[in-house]
Amino acid sequence: MSVSPNTALYLALGLYAAGTLAAFASLFARVARAQRVALALMIAGFVAHTVWIGSICVRTHHPPITNLPEAASFLAWCIFAFEMVILLRYRVHAASFFVYPLVLILLTISAVIREPFALMDPALRSGLFTTHVLMTTIGVAGLLIALAFMVLSQLQDRALKRKTRGPLWQWIPSLNVCNVISYRALTIGFSLYTFGILAGIVWSYRTTAELIDLRTKQIGAVVAWVFFAMLLQSYISGGYRARRTLFISAGAFVAILVSILGIHHA
Amino acid sequence: MSLLLVGINHRTAPVDVRERLSVSDARLPEMLAELKSLSGIDGAAIVSTCNRVETVVSTENEDVIESIVNWLTIRGSATRAELEKHLYILRHGDVVRHLFRVAAGLDSMIVGEPQIGGQVRTSFQTSQRLGTLDPLLNQLFEQTMRVAKRVRSETGIGEHAVSVPYAAVELAKKIFGDLSGLRVMLLGAGEIAELTAEHFAAHDVAQMFVANRAIDRAHDLASRFNGVATKFDEFPSHLAQCDIVVASTGAPHYLILADDVERALAARKRRNLFLIDLSVPRNIEPAVAKVSGAYLYNIDDLQTVAESNRQLREGKAVDAEELVAREVETFKKRLVAQDAVPTILELQQRLETIRAAELEKCLRKLGPVSADQRAAIDQLTTQIVNKILHYPILQLKEADDEPQERESLRRTIRKIFGLR
Repeated sequence: MSVSPNTALYLALGLYAAGTLAAFASLFARVARAQRVALALMIAGFVAHTVWIGSICVRTHHPPITNLPEAASFLAWCIFAFEMVILLRYRVHAASFFVYPLVLILLTISAVIREPFALMDPALRSGLFTTHVLMTTIGVAGLLIALAFMVLSQLQDRALKRKTRGPLWQWIPSLNVCNVISYRALTIGFSLYTFGILAGIVWSYRTTAELIDLRTKQIGAVVAWVFFAMLLQSYISGGYRARRTLFISAGAFVAILVSILGIHHA
Repeated sequence: MSLLLVGINHRTAPVDVRERLSVSDARLPEMLAELKSLSGIDGAAIVSTCNRVETVVSTENEDVIESIVNWLTIRGSATRAELEKHLYILRHGDVVRHLFRVAAGLDSMIVGEPQIGGQVRTSFQTSQRLGTLDPLLNQLFEQTMRVAKRVRSETGIGEHAVSVPYAAVELAKKIFGDLSGLRVMLLGAGEIAELTAEHFAAHDVAQMFVANRAIDRAHDLASRFNGVATKFDEFPSHLAQCDIVVASTGAPHYLILADDVERALAARKRRNLFLIDLSVPRNIEPAVAKVSGAYLYNIDDLQTVAESNRQLREGKAVDAEELVAREVETFKKRLVAQDAVPTILELQQRLETIRAAELEKCLRKLGPVSADQRAAIDQLTTQIVNKILHYPILQLKEADDEPQERESLRRTIRKIFGLR
């Protein structure tokens, strides 16, 4: 069943684009007010985005997780929701320079692909499958936030070591706060992601009698899980400052991207 | 009503003059009462800090300047000629501009320093509590505090540290965030180290260890900061417990090596360690800077940070001055407009009385007219009166902020329109 074009989607996209531009203006022009404008625009975009997701749920009677546009959009929504929680709890704006463009890119994917929304295959309609997709998506959102704060932590570490100030100096919180946020986002994200993958394996076994179906998205998801497990181990052992961590983070990010894009080509 | 300011500051007077005129918090009520009791003063306030003593008054008679200068001369136990060399006297718009600049930290020795805003607020609140402010001064001080807040929040002029100890604290905050609960080790007891320790103590650090070759000095310093004195040879055993190390000894060699820091970090499960080396020759091996999780800053590094912050503040001061200039203009216009209100009301009332009387006469002559016709004539006369009043009211509202000029204009308008 196709759903008519959505004004809310394009409105959200426009507001996210304006918010991202304003955030970058605050970064380069160093105007604090631009950051507040960016936040207001992004929140307005988030409201429009929520309306769009809500309208999909109403029309299809299931969460927006059936195809790539829906999954990308829902992931973007979760990432921004995570960002809002962090902003309220820690008053940190720095992650916006990573989160806003990421949210914008993900929603652009939804808008560009323009795959018609579909009713879920009856075979997929199970609590287990919904749990798998929801947990995995929310977990990935947490893990991407953790990656953003790891990068911020590395930038701040480098600035402190080199005794120079980068353009993000005034926005990045203390190293401790960056590490606390990335660690918490990593543990929460990893737990949900692991739970989601396990739910997927059980669902796959029940429906196809196979534990795992080796397609792009599944391979990407498992590789990403391994990378994130390594990152978590680095944190627990205190070795998260090593250059190795950056490579693992980059690998995890690529694996996650492959996994998301794999939804389209699986 | 005129605004006047008579005072001295760090630029116009040496410390021996400032200290004679300075007013302690305890004596402020007494001094305010004395100032307010001078003949011709309607409202009075005193701003007294280590860098300035300023009296701000509102008055109808500018001759009170003489009384204020005499009062300050007596208070400062000086001859009038001696004091006059250091005094500055500001009037009207210059008072507004000066107070806005002072409260925003633009007139301070260190541009943008944050304490002055609080000091002006305290002076204002004390005067308000003692009832020495009249509505004009009350309005002026309230606006002064608003402008100071705006300058700080919009320009960020006070955000960056411009002294070595404060720069050290700022960097520590970039590493640890909240400093409360941290442990600081003071190695040696040099003057800057002591100052730095004071700054850390002000941020409620959990504990301070003081290691010094002269153990008596270590005990003295430790008791000041509620810390623990340790023998100098034993400091390496405390290294792993500390988050911040401030080294400032006269030792001609390195006291802390990269290997020591590596061991300390391993023992603290790689939690960050901030090392501040204020000594020359240096006490901490430069290779420590390469250890992951350790952040080493020496005296030159901190001075560079402070200097670059100073330049940053100077750049922001330009924006702050523009903001202050705009606020001064707005405030002056508001004062002038407020001052003109009674005359404007009287003027409107006078012309309305004339209009109503003439309208009645005219209607009697015309005989019976319809309600529409009466309304049209009424509207016509009202419009004529408004047009006649437009320029006089505009002149009154946009008059010069100089009270005598305004008074002269008011007198002229009153004379022309036959107001009492």
